[in-house]
Amino acid sequence: MKITVTINGQKYQRDVQESQTLLGFLRADVGLTGTKGGCGAGECGACTVIMNGEAVNSCLVLAVEADGATLQTIEGETVKGKLSPVQDAFARHHAVQCGFCTPGMIMTVKDLLARNPKPSRDEVIHGIEGNFCRCTGYQQIIEAVLDATGQLKESDKEGLKYV
Amino acid sequence: MLHDFSYVAPTAVDELFTFLATHGTKTAVFSGGTDLFVNIRGGLSAPDYVVNLKSVPGLSDLSFDPKAGLSIGACVPVTRVLNDPTVNKKYGVIAKAAGELATHQLRNRATVVGNIVTASPCGDMSSPLLCYDAQVEIASAGGSRIVALKEFITGVKRTVLQPEEIVTRIIVPTTYAGTKGNYLKLKRIKGHDLGVVAVAMIATSKVIRVAISSAAPTPVLLPDFPASASAETIKESARKAISPIDDVRCTKEYRAFMVEEFIDRLHAEVKA
Amino acid sequence: MYETIPADQLNTVGKKSGRVDAYEKVTGHAPYVSDMIMQGMLYAAVKQSPHARARIVKIDTKKAKALPGVRAVVTGEELQYRLGLYVVDKDILAKTEVRHFGEAVAAVAADSPLIAQKAIKLIEVEYEVLEPVLHPLKALEKDAPLVHPALGDYSYMEAAFTPVPGTNIANHTKIRKGDVEKAFAQAEWIIERQYTNPSVQHVPMETHVAIVRWQPNDEVTIWSSAQSPYTLRNLFCTAMKLPHRNVRVIVPYVGGGFGGKAGIGIEPLVAVLSRLAGGRPVKLMATREQEFSLLPCRSQLTYRIKTGIAADGKIVGQHMTMYWDAGAYADYAVNVTRASAYSAAGPYEIPNAWVDAYTIYTNKPFGTAYRGFGHVEFHWGIERHMDLVAKVIGMDPVEFRRKNTLKPGSHTLTGELIRTSTGSIDKCLDAACKSINYGKLTKAEKDRQKRTGMKIGKGVACFHKAPAMPPFTATAVILKMNEDGTVTANLTLTDYGQGSYTAIAQIIAERLGFPLERVKVAFDCDTDRDPYDWQTVASKGLILSGNAAILAAEDLLACAYDTASQALRCNKIDLAHDADKIYIKHHPESAVTFRQMAVGYAFPNGNGIGGPIIGVGRYIAQGLSHLDKATGQGNPALDWTYGAHGMIIEVNEKTGEYNILKVGSAFDVGKVVNPDSVRGQAIGGMMQGLGTAVCEGYIYDKEGHLLNPSFTDNKIPTAVDMPLEIECMVVETPQIDGPYGARGVGEHPMIGVAAALGNALQQSTGAEITHMPMRYEDVWRAIRHIEPVDNWITKSPFGSCKSSPQMQGHHPELG
Repeated sequence: MKITVTINGQKYQRDVQESQTLLGFLRADVGLTGTKGGCGAGECGACTVIMNGEAVNSCLVLAVEADGATLQTIEGETVKGKLSPVQDAFARHHAVQCGFCTPGMIMTVKDLLARNPKPSRDEVIHGIEGNFCRCTGYQQIIEAVLDATGQLKESDKEGLKYV
Repeated sequence: MLHDFSYVAPTAVDELFTFLATHGTKTAVFSGGTDLFVNIRGGLSAPDYVVNLKSVPGLSDLSFDPKAGLSIGACVPVTRVLNDPTVNKKYGVIAKAAGELATHQLRNRATVVGNIVTASPCGDMSSPLLCYDAQVEIASAGGSRIVALKEFITGVKRTVLQPEEIVTRIIVPTTYAGTKGNYLKLKRIKGHDLGVVAVAMIATSKVIRVAISSAAPTPVLLPDFPASASAETIKESARKAISPIDDVRCTKEYRAFMVEEFIDRLHAEVKA
Repeated sequence: MYETIPADQLNTVGKKSGRVDAYEKVTGHAPYVSDMIMQGMLYAAVKQSPHARARIVKIDTKKAKALPGVRAVVTGEELQYRLGLYVVDKDILAKTEVRHFGEAVAAVAADSPLIAQKAIKLIEVEYEVLEPVLHPLKALEKDAPLVHPALGDYSYMEAAFTPVPGTNIANHTKIRKGDVEKAFAQAEWIIERQYTNPSVQHVPMETHVAIVRWQPNDEVTIWSSAQSPYTLRNLFCTAMKLPHRNVRVIVPYVGGGFGGKAGIGIEPLVAVLSRLAGGRPVKLMATREQEFSLLPCRSQLTYRIKTGIAADGKIVGQHMTMYWDAGAYADYAVNVTRASAYSAAGPYEIPNAWVDAYTIYTNKPFGTAYRGFGHVEFHWGIERHMDLVAKVIGMDPVEFRRKNTLKPGSHTLTGELIRTSTGSIDKCLDAACKSINYGKLTKAEKDRQKRTGMKIGKGVACFHKAPAMPPFTATAVILKMNEDGTVTANLTLTDYGQGSYTAIAQIIAERLGFPLERVKVAFDCDTDRDPYDWQTVASKGLILSGNAAILAAEDLLACAYDTASQALRCNKIDLAHDADKIYIKHHPESAVTFRQMAVGYAFPNGNGIGGPIIGVGRYIAQGLSHLDKATGQGNPALDWTYGAHGMIIEVNEKTGEYNILKVGSAFDVGKVVNPDSVRGQAIGGMMQGLGTAVCEGYIYDKEGHLLNPSFTDNKIPTAVDMPLEIECMVVETPQIDGPYGARGVGEHPMIGVAAALGNALQQSTGAEITHMPMRYEDVWRAIRHIEPVDNWITKSPFGSCKSSPQMQGHHPELG
């Protein structure tokens, strides 16, 4: 089936298999592999993209459902090679380890900040509940989000304590 | 997806019903797809056709009428219900349960109707809807019918729905609108999880209504209790109504214990 | 390699800096194997056994082969290769018998994943279901079915392991120190208990994935999401009887490993499919469900500890028996057994010790390396035991620990002398206690108890771990100067998230005196390009590769100094350098820049000298030895990293529900190289430990089917599951042979977390939990002294959940 999708401001027209997922479409049909697949069951959030302004698990959306949709993926987050404030904060705060959950996590944060530009720590925690990260234990991710939104307290920046 | 199917996106109700009348037994209809596509991927479902209800006009309404009550269309995602001021004001326990359902990403896709049609004993929406005496509107080429939610789910993942039928909407009457209540859910982690056991309770000046999930093959609505009923009376009734099992998520003993614990907490809350 | 350079004179090491891989990862540009597509690539799928143990009567692949688009179909009978890291016991595909639920019995390669999947469904396998042996203790009984009847014929690494043919014992490690019986005779108390934990899954976010191209001339290229390129190549070549020169392993970015990608996994199967398909590249990516049963897990442990304590609270003797449930294949489990045996007592001095550690075959998915390499599992036992013993003898658990910790002058179970430079468990313990106000409730905590009706509890747990590795483990780093004076390092220690490359870059920059931006560590690993590293495991990377990096930097500078001394016509001894140039100390204006020398220096007339500047650093662990097989005595430890966790929780005593209010952890890391990386490891590891403590674990039915092979019923922690407060602390007792004094801390944060939770639960409610995980229900049962949930393989048969069982002498269930 032929579909037209706008991804990060660019139009793509592809003939896709009707059973293709949006995740498979992005990765295999379009070649945007920044979005990852972690479980195929909507549990881990690695495949999170923003579709028509809403964060969705792209592994549970059919590509054909996205016909006419506007999508944002991690590839659209950087403008002219410059990291977005969220990306930059993730990099500075070591909110990244293996990096596999990172694209989905950043998309979730982007969606959260669109709805709630200054989320509290608790709102960040609940906001990223749908994204597993097995490496970081989430703490530095939360600090990155608070920093990106200008909310990280000086006392939080101390980090590691030497005894 | 590791199973091939044809995608159908009817653009009119008639088109949908005609299709289902012919191909209903080989078809899975979906709106959010958060259950269907997991099942297809896992080999639990292998339909020849999947039909997207979102393309059918008129199924995405979420509205409230002071007489008819709340109407939740087949394609209304959980997020919309969660954020709806009327739902929060008049049907707070539905909103509470909606917030307990899965994750933000899934709530953006999963629908309230889908959660009911899936008929899982642990579906988050069923207990609160049972408390509010929700009705299910079913339609097919032959017309439509209304079935009480408590009659709709007949067993584990079984409903009265026929292959040629769909649920068009859920109607929540105003009978219990604006009442106090809450929904308590036991999970294995603090993050998103299926309900290991859950209890919903609402109370008016006259009655207390209680429904329980994950403690029997179907969600269980207890008989109405007078407003003066003690927690003990409700627990006594619950004990008779549920039949919890041992599984990987929990033992029947702890399920039964937590049902009573939740009844205690909810009772104290509605009495406060 | 420890230099007594005051911290204020270090420019890069110990300072905050971003990760070298951050840009690639936050932009989604970092290529993982799962992202890779090759020209002409085929997709593989695997047929898995639905039974725990069954004879394969017949496999019919005719229909699968006939399906259009199928390019290769393979079954075990066609493959004459056997694999094994330490015991060579595994076929690539099951041959006559399947030994665990989920084992691979056939595989296909096809034009698309969909066709491959359809072909798998068309393969018909006829099984004769056999009685499985599932419980590790049952597997030791005389009449138990044998998982590997031919164990006596298998080859194995004889210097380290002892399989017992005719039994299900894949390895028996013994440690004998002093006279335990005599010590028990003199003890005031003898306390014996048993502790269990289930198998768990690593859950890397990127599942196992490999692409293999086996060309008709037997040249093989493997792209794999793997931790250890050289060990993967070595095991592959040994199994396939190929010269090492023929096989090239490439590891790009890896989406998490945690030990699960340490050895060899799906690569041989993908390789044979590629060969059958005429050399077309074949890709296999495991599904999340396959991670749980096709691929290995962490071994289950049943740990029995009998401790003799003198009247003053000193441990005088300890008898320890570990039953490691390997599952169907020995893989890393035999070495987990060995490493756990020599660390079995935790960071305590045990003058008289006896350890029997068994690796036991059962018909379950097999165990492999997992962050902590056995130490998470047995520290659950030993650190719960410390609190239970303290309760019985009426001593505060922390005081009891302090009395018994390893101190300078102590000897480990294997007879190794502990020195001041080994590190300080006492300092870590003190820091953890202070972090949680151990032993008392603050006013705020008392108010909180009143407000919530929940009871606050505090517990601590200590731990130690040394790298589990061959005594002669080696690595190398090659450092090349680029034309512009920047440098690029090549090594095959992989960075699958732990931050090693950032630390290595900092160490190189520090040693060269260059700014960090001038140093690149090449991210993908390629055995055809990069020098040897044994494996990326065991928290040994920072010490071994860090040292190799220092040596490579020294070698590169020596190379540059050679050239400079000729260019400047002076003695090398009179030269010094800064970030840009080498100059004559007494005539600093006589200088030559690194840039001028990078690929050889040219005099004004065009004459050249020197050639490209390269540094080679080779490092091998020093002074370590094999353990004596009869007594376990020897020197196995490259370094010991000590640490302690303190935990504050609140519990609903009626229901067992609890919240984790604070975790304060301290580690003696020797020297912090990158503070944010250390913190990332500390918190990430702690949370992974908390996952296994709170909810994770394999659950089987009595036929050996795994009942929870997915995220639906095998939860891992989300952000909502974090403790309310986390404090990370470091002690810096420099490691004499560590780079700038540093030692490894990758695995350690995960160790002891579960015990700290168990101890806090005991402190607040009296619940004596001896099995993991601690779900609310487990706590509820323990508080009420009712039998634990019978997950039947992991239930602790005695001691568990009973307030004060008969702990002296013989227990009926012990047999």
